[in-house]
Formats: sequence, C-alpha cells, structure tokens
Amino acid sequence: MTRVLATYNIKGGVGKTSAAVNLAYLAARGGDKTLLWDLDPQGASTYLFRVRPKVRGGVRKLVRRKSDVENLIRGTDYERLDLLPADFSYRHMDLALDAAKHSTDRLARVLEPLRGQYEYIFLDCPPSISLVSENVFEAADALLVPIIPATLSSRTFEQLEELVRGGPQVLAFFSMVEVRKSLHREVMAKLRAAHVTMLGAAIPSSDEVERMGVDRNVVAEIAPGGRAAIAYEALWWDVRRRLTGRGPGAAA
Amino acid sequence: MNLAGTDLLLPDRMTPVAAIDALSARLTLQEGAGAERDLRFYDTFDGLLHAAGLAFVHESGRAVLVEIEDGTEHAGMPVADPPRGIFANELAPGPLRDAVAEIIEVRALLPLVHIHLAERSFGVLDSAAKTVVRLRIDTPTVVASPNRQLALAPRIRIAAVRGYQKAFARVRATLVDDLGLNATDRSVLDDAVIATGARPGGVSSKIDVALARDQRSDSAVVSVLRRLAEVMESNLPGTIADVDAEFLHDYRVAVRRSRAVMRELKTVFPPEQLARFRGELRWLQQITGPSRDLDVYVLDFDQLRSGLAEPGRSDLAPLLRVLRDRRVIAHREMVRALRTDRAAELRAQWPAFLSELITLPADDRPDAIRPIGELADERIKKVYRRMVKMGAAIEDSSPAEALHELRKQGKELRYLLELFGLPLHPGDVVKPLLRALKSLQDTLGRHQDREVQVAALRSFRDEVSTLRGGAGALMAMGVLIEHLGEDERAARAEFAESFASFASKPQRTLVKETFGA
Repeated sequence: MTRVLATYNIKGGVGKTSAAVNLAYLAARGGDKTLLWDLDPQGASTYLFRVRPKVRGGVRKLVRRKSDVENLIRGTDYERLDLLPADFSYRHMDLALDAAKHSTDRLARVLEPLRGQYEYIFLDCPPSISLVSENVFEAADALLVPIIPATLSSRTFEQLEELVRGGPQVLAFFSMVEVRKSLHREVMAKLRAAHVTMLGAAIPSSDEVERMGVDRNVVAEIAPGGRAAIAYEALWWDVRRRLTGRGPGAAA
Repeated sequence: MNLAGTDLLLPDRMTPVAAIDALSARLTLQEGAGAERDLRFYDTFDGLLHAAGLAFVHESGRAVLVEIEDGTEHAGMPVADPPRGIFANELAPGPLRDAVAEIIEVRALLPLVHIHLAERSFGVLDSAAKTVVRLRIDTPTVVASPNRQLALAPRIRIAAVRGYQKAFARVRATLVDDLGLNATDRSVLDDAVIATGARPGGVSSKIDVALARDQRSDSAVVSVLRRLAEVMESNLPGTIADVDAEFLHDYRVAVRRSRAVMRELKTVFPPEQLARFRGELRWLQQITGPSRDLDVYVLDFDQLRSGLAEPGRSDLAPLLRVLRDRRVIAHREMVRALRTDRAAELRAQWPAFLSELITLPADDRPDAIRPIGELADERIKKVYRRMVKMGAAIEDSSPAEALHELRKQGKELRYLLELFGLPLHPGDVVKPLLRALKSLQDTLGRHQDREVQVAALRSFRDEVSTLRGGAGALMAMGVLIEHLGEDERAARAEFAESFASFASKPQRTLVKETFGA
C-alpha cells in the first residue's frame, strides 16, 4: 500500500525540504521504492538531487493529466529513490488548479498511476494556505509538520489541526532546535505536554543540515553518524511507527 | 541481488581493472561501495527452480528465493549455515518455505554451485555530477572445492537511472562499440554450472525423442529405449543414496516404460534376447517395488491421516514409525540387489544390446524395418480397441481384477501414446485422448490403490500392536480402513462415467481417423 506523506507548514524556512529529502532517502535506503515530488517552485529538493528543474508541458498540462507523469520522473543518485522535479511554472499552480475541474483533488489524481509503483510518496510543499495546500491535504495520508520551538509555534500547530480536521493525520516534530536556548526547551516541554500527536524526535539546528545545499547531498551521506543524521533516523522510525499504528502514543 | 539480465561480458584478456581504466578515460566514474559475496545456489536434481526462473541462494546466514533474471527477492529468512541438502518441509514455516514447497514439492534441494563474487559499483556522472547510469563490475569465481577455483568471465551490468535513457544508451554503446564487450543472456549461475561440467536446468527425466513416421521401427524403438536407459542411469545414484523419493520413482517409471515398449513392439527384437531382457527388467521392477510402496505410504501419511478426526489423528503416530522402519529396511534390501553382479551386468549389457540391435539380421524380427508410423499406429489402435472391449464388459458384479486388468492396458496405451503417439502425430489430436485416458486411469488407480492400502494397513497391524500406543493406533487404523473401503467403492461407482467418455463415439472416431481404420 502506498503511503503519501507531505512535509508542510504555513510558514517557510522551517526545514520542510530538509525533512522531505532526508526522510525520502531513509525510506529508500530501508528497501522501499520511494518518490519525492518537489511541489515548491523554488525547486530546492530538485537542486539537492542535481536534477534539472524541468517539467515538460509545465504545471497546466500536469494537473490536467495531459502529460504522462511516468516520463517526468527522474531517478536520483540513490537506488529506489525517484524524483518528480519542480518546475518554475509551479508558481502558478494555484491558478492552474483553479482553472481545472475538481480543483481540490487534482494532485491526488496525478499520483494515481504511481500508487502501485511506490511504497512511499513524499510531497515537498511550498509554504502557503491555498488551493495547492488543499490538494495536498486531499492527497496525503499524513502531514509531517516541522515546528520551530519558538513563541507562537503552539498557535501554528492549533491552526493547522483546525485546518485539516477530518483530513490527513498530523505528525508534527520539532525542527531547527537549539538545545542551548532555554526558550526552545521550555516551548518543547509545553507543546509535548499539550499535544500527544507531537513526535518525540527533534531535528537539531546543525552545520550538517546547512551543508546539504553546498554538497547537494543528504545528511546521512554528508555526515553519517552525525547528530542530524541520527535525528532524522529517529524521526523516520517514529513516523513509520505512527503510520502503522503500532507502539505507545500511536495516533488513532 | 542482480544475477543476470542485460549483462555485458568482458572480452578475453581484458581484466576488470583494465576495463575500469578504459572507461574512466571516456566517462566520469564515481566508485561506490563494493562487496565480496559468497553465494551458494541450490536446486532440485531436475532443476525445478531453474525451470521456474528462480534460484534458491544461501548468503551470509540467510536463504532467499530470487528471480534469476533480475534478482528480485520472492522470500527469504535466516538460515545459519548453508545446508548440505534440504527438503521444503525442513525449512522453518514461513513465506520462503511456502514458496519453495509449491515448486519443488517432495524433491530435495541439493547444492548446485558455490560462486564467489567480487563486486565493484560505479555511478556514471553527468556535468552536474549527478549519477545518470549505474554500473557494476563483477568478477565471479566458482568455488568447486576449498582449493579448486574456476574463474568465470568478468561481467559488467549496467542499469539505467529513470529518466536518463539517453545516457544509458550512450554508456552501453561505449562499452560495446569502444571496449568490445559482448551482451549475454546467460546468467552468472548458468555460466558457473557450465564451468563445473554440468548442464543448466538440471537433469531431466522427460522423454523427448524426435521420431519420423518413415523411420525404421527398430531404430525408432532403440532411440526411445536408449533415452529411457539414460534416465535409469541418471537416477540410479540418487536412488541408492536415498536423496529423495523422486529418483526411485523416475527410475521405476523408466523401467516400466521400457518394458511396455518391449511388450508392445516385440516384433522388432530377436525373440531370445527379448525374453532375456524382459525378464531382467521385470526383476528390476520387482526389487525396487517394496521400497517405492513404502516411500508412497510415508509421503502420503499426512494426507491419509487428515481423513481422521482427532483424537484418532494423533493416535496414528505408531503407524508412521512402523512405516519409516520398514522403509529403511526395504531401501537397504533394494540397494543390496542393485549392487549385485546381476544388476551390474544388466546395466552394461542393456545399452550394448540397444547399440547393436539395428545391425542384427531381420529374419526373426518381422517388423524391424517397417516404418514406425505404421507400426505404432497399429499398436495404439489395437490397445485402444482392446480397452474399449474390456471396459464394456465390466459390470457392477464384475470382480475387481477386471478393473485391474483394464488399468494395466491403460498404462500400456499411455506409454505408447506418450512415447510414439506424440512425436508422430500433432499434439492437438493425441493430447485430448491422453486426457480422457488419464482421467479413466485416475479412477482405476484410486480404486486399486485403496484396495492395496487396505491390505497394507492390515499387514502392519501386528507390528503396530506391539508398540506403545499401539491399541489406539489399531483403532484409528480400523477407521482408516473403513474410509479407504468407502473411497474404493466410490471410485468403482465413478468408473462407468469416466469409461464412457474414454470410449465415447467421438473419441473412437478420433482414434480411427488418427491411427487408421
């Protein structure tokens, strides 16, 4: 069964792409065929995997299923991990979706022919509340939400739960954590107490994550055994455990 | 695990290192993780897994069932040490055991070949340093024994990265056109098996002898009997070593088929030798009979037992012990007989006789030079008609022997059709007849087998009664005997129907049209 996981947050710069790329890599390394769809017109994941950010026919044809999505997929440097690249035309994805019929489940329909081929499909989403995000909520089985432990982050979390009520499972985790900051520690404790669906693993703010953009690689390859690599492995373990509904604290 | 597929073989005298150097001069390569692997392959004697496109492999504490073509894993589980030979039911319960059992049934998996593989992996990079093609250079060696290794041709496997087909075509062209590599369809596994002097796909017991209708009858008969002698010969070591029950079974089928050929086409042989070899092959059949019967009882024990409800089912344990003990004794006696001078002489003289048969004078062999098409058709027609006549005479009150006799004729007809009918006539004509015959034989076989089983169970009673738990076992056996008797009567009741379809008007017309009036 294919599981669609979207890294999503209303805010930008919180570690969405980094999570999508590293988790997709871990899924593939674990033996599962995995696809990452870079929905962000900036194409950061596409850049990290050294793939040309080009979708022939652009977003308009893609969401109307006029292009053969199979031909748009590119293999990455890693076995079992494929990428559906970003394209600059994605900046008009909202308009393209709005112009099409069934405007809220267009992305789910694009993924339909790929469902049998992959165990996991990751969606790396642009930050916004828009038709794109509505489509993502429709297509995804779970949202992976990176949250920076700072003031107002609790508010962000609640807004999001409100937004997707009845939709995909929300799995939030702390991102860009600086454990030396007492504010971060306090906010984390508070949020974990208030929200049982908050994941245990936390991604530290680290040089390795920043180096991803320079080395164009995943943290597990840049610094295997490093803090960030270990944190992503823990996060992936945690996510999978929640998805299969096993273990303590599994979401209903 | 990639074992074969679109592999490219390095030309003679090109070492893997030289190939990498030559490639590096033309492409940007990045070396990835390499590996040293020890793969131990298993298959049945007759290559059942190979025929299904699969391989059973033991590698570093794990056994897997994989596709030979692309290495896709069907099932796997930890198995500490490479086994020397293993039956499906000796594997721990799970998907691997189920997948293997479905294909090999009662046959044993035997060590086929041990391959050591030195692997080096590379990515071919584009200008953005992205991997666009993957390639792996394998240096395989057959480990024939700890101090005997056979080097196999190194091979390069190239794998396309999705979306980069052009780069794949370019790299492939470089390898083939510039470096002179050759594409091969043969898997490393087959390469290794050939290097050891064996044949990929195992040793078959199938009789696929091509015959021509105008071929001299004696020469056609010799080709068939020679192939049957080959099958006997190839199954003898496994029969003696008691590897699995199929060796003896295939051995005996070949003996029985040979006897049927001699009986049905006796007019191509000189009478004196015919009588002698018929006698000797009958003897082979007799000395191997008890061992085969007990094989069948042991193999069918679970099925037999499943006809009982608890607690009778578990009460039967002493019977299994008796069967196993008797099987061991019968096997020992059979091996002794197979090792006598008489058996050795037969093994030498029978093929020798077949080799000289067509050179012998034809005076006392009236049908020796008649075309086999004519002679075989005549025999098939005759046996079919005899069966129709015998079957039609069977009534509800007929003794069981009448059905047994009909079954014997059925076997003769089946062998004639398989060995001569199929090679001499279109399959779509002979196969329907074989199907109708097979269904009749199944009914007759069930009828007779049940009768034999009942007699056998009765003969075991004294021995079972002396064992602990013997009383319970005897009661359970009583119930079994009753069940078997019921099934025997049911088979008898089904006889009329399956005979009617075998002897139906359309079937008779078909026989007439195919094998002549």
